[in-house]
Amino acid sequence: MIARQMFEEFKARFGPLIQRADLPSDSRLYVFVDRSAVKYVCQHIFRELDARYVASIGSDDRPFSGTFLVAHNFAFDKDHLLCSVLTQLPQDDLKIDSITAMVPAASWAEREMRDLLGIEPVGHSYPKRLVLPDGWPEGKHPLRKDVPWNEVPEGYDEEREFKFDEPPEGCMVVPFGPFHPTLDEPAHFRLYVEGEMVRGCEYRGFMVHRGIEKLAESVMSYNDIPMLAERICGICGCVHNVAYVQAVEDAAVLKPPPRAEYIRTIMLELERLHSHLLWTGLACHIVGFDTLFMQSFRIREPIMWIAEKISGNRKTYALCVIGGVRRDITDELKTELRAVLDKLESEWRAVVGAVSNDRNIQKRTRDVGVADKLLVKSAGLVGPVARAAGVDIDCRRDLPYAAYDRVDFDVITAQSADVWARLVVRMKEVFESIKIMRQCLDKMEDGPLQLEIKDELPIGRMGLSSVEAPRGEAHHFVITGENNRPRRWRVRAPTYQNLQGVPAMIKDQQIADMTISLGSIDPCFSCTDRLETIDLRSGEKKVWSQQELLQMTRKKEP
Amino acid sequence: MSLLSKLEETLICLKAGRVTLPYPAQAQPLPEKFRGRPIFDATKCIGCAGCANNCPAREILVYDVCQEVRVLQYLGRRCTYCGRCADVCPEKAITMSLEFENATNQIGDLGQKLELFMSTCQRCGRCFKGAAALDELKMKGYRSDDLESERWVYRAHAFLEGEPAVADIEIELD
Repeated sequence: MIARQMFEEFKARFGPLIQRADLPSDSRLYVFVDRSAVKYVCQHIFRELDARYVASIGSDDRPFSGTFLVAHNFAFDKDHLLCSVLTQLPQDDLKIDSITAMVPAASWAEREMRDLLGIEPVGHSYPKRLVLPDGWPEGKHPLRKDVPWNEVPEGYDEEREFKFDEPPEGCMVVPFGPFHPTLDEPAHFRLYVEGEMVRGCEYRGFMVHRGIEKLAESVMSYNDIPMLAERICGICGCVHNVAYVQAVEDAAVLKPPPRAEYIRTIMLELERLHSHLLWTGLACHIVGFDTLFMQSFRIREPIMWIAEKISGNRKTYALCVIGGVRRDITDELKTELRAVLDKLESEWRAVVGAVSNDRNIQKRTRDVGVADKLLVKSAGLVGPVARAAGVDIDCRRDLPYAAYDRVDFDVITAQSADVWARLVVRMKEVFESIKIMRQCLDKMEDGPLQLEIKDELPIGRMGLSSVEAPRGEAHHFVITGENNRPRRWRVRAPTYQNLQGVPAMIKDQQIADMTISLGSIDPCFSCTDRLETIDLRSGEKKVWSQQELLQMTRKKEP
Repeated sequence: MSLLSKLEETLICLKAGRVTLPYPAQAQPLPEKFRGRPIFDATKCIGCAGCANNCPAREILVYDVCQEVRVLQYLGRRCTYCGRCADVCPEKAITMSLEFENATNQIGDLGQKLELFMSTCQRCGRCFKGAAALDELKMKGYRSDDLESERWVYRAHAFLEGEPAVADIEIELD
């Protein structure tokens, strides 16, 4: 009854500032607190009780309660408890005390809240725009319920350029991203460099913000969203698919049949396998070690094929619906999957054996991109990045879901906190995944794949779900709603937290290590908005503007 | 030590040999459950609209042009091949085919349009699937009675021509 104990303790400490609480189960606690106390309750939880910061959520609750909702989520990993500190804000006074002074990891989440909902974090350490482009008019907040999902507000200036901070004195600026040869997604870093050393950086991302949450809240329905959630990420799609479904199931108190849980576990681990092999390959590619890049991709391919055989597609498994799964793993597939795992294990063991003594790769990765325990705590880093720093967290063990409570596995940690440690952690986790999958295949019991849901889902209930993605913890928050769709669905992908640790990781190291440091968590970069061409015959220089280039590339075929 | 690992790496590479498949020169076998482009079978479809109700991408539209003819239009533009339609179809009229090389300049190429004849039960007023296709063509819906020239006009053209219910999307290049 750890949730109840925790609540009693809050009540004793903060008295009437704790308004009410919801304790749906032993592993979930929702505490509603007075808005003046949010800061102190969060401080207490984060510093004194040493909880891990997970996510902050803002929600427009006006059509239902007339207020805005703010939630700060924390995880008590040792106690297997997810705790949400909620507060309601009257709609005419949307100010809340920022918690960034105590919980630096909440920085992005609060900026996002400010952009998308207009909730002002008072006292935020860096209150710059995060999600919305600079050309977006003030006072328009797309996640509010009175804004249609497809509205482009009047006065939106698409061409307006970002306003960047001034670099510190004595530093040059090197732009990294949004397009960079080594990584494939757009994010922009302005590196402040002094000679070869990086002294700091400014991040500008969210260039491919697709408004998935808004779409789900206004257009889709419960069973459509899993297919949408799957498209949040090209690598850990199944993770978001499962995490969303679990959050809804948590809110509506539905328990999927055991066979479905095992199948979910198997598919999640299959995804981890292919992701870890892909990452190992890419990381080696970044440091110029293409042999392993090729070999990891070769070894990975059979995993994609078996996934295709089970689910019908290499990557988008379209696995879950509320209350179950859509794909069965038949005896035939089981045998095939076992064979794939056996082959993978022996091949991977050979690769790991060879690589762990390779001095070249160690020289590029040791003492590079260090994220120590302190940074992990303050920036809320998750997954292999945290485990490589010796922080023993893993949602599969700490906040068990699906069938993870019925299998035996070790959580791999390392101590050196650098890129090499992350490589080692990921390489070893492959064997743990294989172990988990074998146990699941053995233990999987016969039975239905889907729960029969007879009634509508209850309205206004909250659900949390944390799923250990290959890159770290993916966290979903759902408030169930009317019209067969959630009222609010918030997704916090692992990179959302891990990227916030990057500025500290790359500080005071060589610029050449920037790519692998960034690559070691799993994200992206580089661009200039101009391009210079020289006419060879006349030697005349022409500088192309962004406009001209756009026109050139978008010219219609006659 | 490091030299040894280099040798090991070389061995791994040599052992693997060449693994690249001769695609697209040679087609590769696809697994049975592969989810390619959905194919709608008009002879099996009963027009229940279950697929349309469950399509996450909202790519299937159903509309009645008259009491007897229901049109089921699959747009195929945003379709993610998730296979929900095939799952819920009670008549197994939708199969996820093995087609995946669907690149096209005309996005309309991927669409399918089914004209379904829906007979009306004279007792309960509900629609039911008519008999054989040849019989259907003679019935109202596929036949309009031209009073002026006192004759029958077959096919449903009288109802289906004109503006499409949903315009095909135009790909904006500008």
